[in-house]
Amino acid sequence: MNERNEHIYGVACTFRKPADVFHAAEKVRDAGWTRWDVHTPFPIHGLDQAMGLPRSKVPRLTLLGGVTGFITGCLLTWYMNSYDYPLIVGGKPYWSAIYPFPVLYECTILFAAFGTFFGQFILNRLPHHHHPLFELPNFARVSDDTFMVVLEAHDPKFHVDDSRNFLQSLGGQEITVIRD
Amino acid sequence: MSDSSSNLSSKWPTILGLGVVALVAAWALAFLGLGQHDHRPALSVLLGCLFWTSLLIGMLMLTMITRVFDAGWAPVIRRNWEFMIGALPVVLLLGVVPLAFLPDFRHLLWEWTDVNHILPSGHEVGHDPILQAKEWFLNEKFFLVRISLYVVFFSVLTWAMRHWSFKQDTDRTASHTHKLHAFSAAGIPLGAVALTMLAFDCLMALSYHWFSTMYGVWFFALSIRLALAATVILTYRLSNGGWLDGILNQAHRHVLGCLMLAFTVFWAYISFSQYFLIYTANIPEETFWYNIREFNPVTGLKSDWWGVSMYLIFGFFLLPFLSLLFYRSKIVPGRLLTIAVIIFIGGIVDLWFNAVPRQIVDKAAPEGFTVSPFLCGSLATDLLAIAGFGAIVIGLFLRSATKAETIPVHDPRILESINYHE
Repeated sequence: MNERNEHIYGVACTFRKPADVFHAAEKVRDAGWTRWDVHTPFPIHGLDQAMGLPRSKVPRLTLLGGVTGFITGCLLTWYMNSYDYPLIVGGKPYWSAIYPFPVLYECTILFAAFGTFFGQFILNRLPHHHHPLFELPNFARVSDDTFMVVLEAHDPKFHVDDSRNFLQSLGGQEITVIRD
Repeated sequence: MSDSSSNLSSKWPTILGLGVVALVAAWALAFLGLGQHDHRPALSVLLGCLFWTSLLIGMLMLTMITRVFDAGWAPVIRRNWEFMIGALPVVLLLGVVPLAFLPDFRHLLWEWTDVNHILPSGHEVGHDPILQAKEWFLNEKFFLVRISLYVVFFSVLTWAMRHWSFKQDTDRTASHTHKLHAFSAAGIPLGAVALTMLAFDCLMALSYHWFSTMYGVWFFALSIRLALAATVILTYRLSNGGWLDGILNQAHRHVLGCLMLAFTVFWAYISFSQYFLIYTANIPEETFWYNIREFNPVTGLKSDWWGVSMYLIFGFFLLPFLSLLFYRSKIVPGRLLTIAVIIFIGGIVDLWFNAVPRQIVDKAAPEGFTVSPFLCGSLATDLLAIAGFGAIVIGLFLRSATKAETIPVHDPRILESINYHE
């Protein structure tokens, strides 16, 4: 990253039609960009593939949370009922995988939910109280009738003038440089 | 319709004929067993019938559920369910109905219908206080009335789901969709009651001392699992040289995979709940049902049924569950097919586990009875009956496909279904 880009967040460019922004996204993807985003007022089917986005990593964190929860439940019930204070309840063994199953199950669900919630929180880099894009005067219109592609400055391919020209070649309408 | 798909459906008389031959053979064995007072071959016919009844009831429920929810992905797949469910009354009429209405078979399979049958305790069924308390429900007349009602009810429901849907192909009227929507909204709760009672009568009543309020829900869970597994297998075949070639897409497979995962968990939840409550309460009149599925009453050691129950936990739940967690298992055709085949086979094992073990009076044994074994020659008869009913179902399915459009071309949601996207 060169010095004069330091206070620049990126370059934004608006499109009028879903098809335009869709094809623009495919070209940005094919040009090898990694740090960029598309903003649309409604979900566009197939945009994930057009942007070349991989599948979310959240399910892995959910699985990790679930496995952790199951093991925690096992340890919890084993420690309390079989190790620290051995107690026979209802003629059941001190510990088996069957009688505490509701506990194991609930711990699995709880920790899987933690994995999902905090996983997406971290992967989405939340909490994030402000975003440079909010400074853009017409940014509110991407929740109404405008589509937007934003190339971010921390992408290795980023260079203000080149990026501006690139977006122009994609058929973008209003091109704005966003300052941090 | 392309050539390859009309080739496929023109095979229906051959497949139907093979099914009839296999079923006649299974019935012949059942009659032979009757002479030796052996209930097991008759149970094979019942198993074959109930396996396909369960699968087809699952498809009927899925048909109605997708109607009620106006599922956009469903129409291209639902048409195949509509073709399949036409066989449901036939399966009932060729299996459960004769077994229940012929007194010899009824007495052999449902012991409580035979007042002279001797229990392991040495008493006759007719003097069993447990049966006397249940007599308002478990009496032969009411039993036969109920069996007849299932046939009538499922015939009407499957006829309705097929008739108006097929009619839409020719008269292009959207009102059929609204009619089916309303019919399904009524059909789902009524169907739930009917399938619960059917599971009580045909399966739970095989061991009439035992009772579980979870049983109907278990049967529903099994039905949907079998229906989804069969749908995956069927659509795989139909998208390779059949009428779904080029129509079935990744998103359809993903939906079926997600539903298979959901109902795998649901089945495990229900089956475990039933076990867990009986295990916790520890009441002898309930636990004996699981005991004969775990121990050999003569030696006290784990029997081969214990192996079957372990297979259900690991092979019918854990393996499909863990495989289906992965996104790619739900979209790669070969992987989804493999999991569907595992579930399909597991469904047979689950029926074996539920229907086959029973106490057989044996004065020499310490408890007064032995348990019918899992590994025996009758497993082959079971598979023969399942294959026989299966070929009849597939034959009738292909026959239906020659009578109506294989794609519901005038369904209001047909474009949404064909272009369905994840």
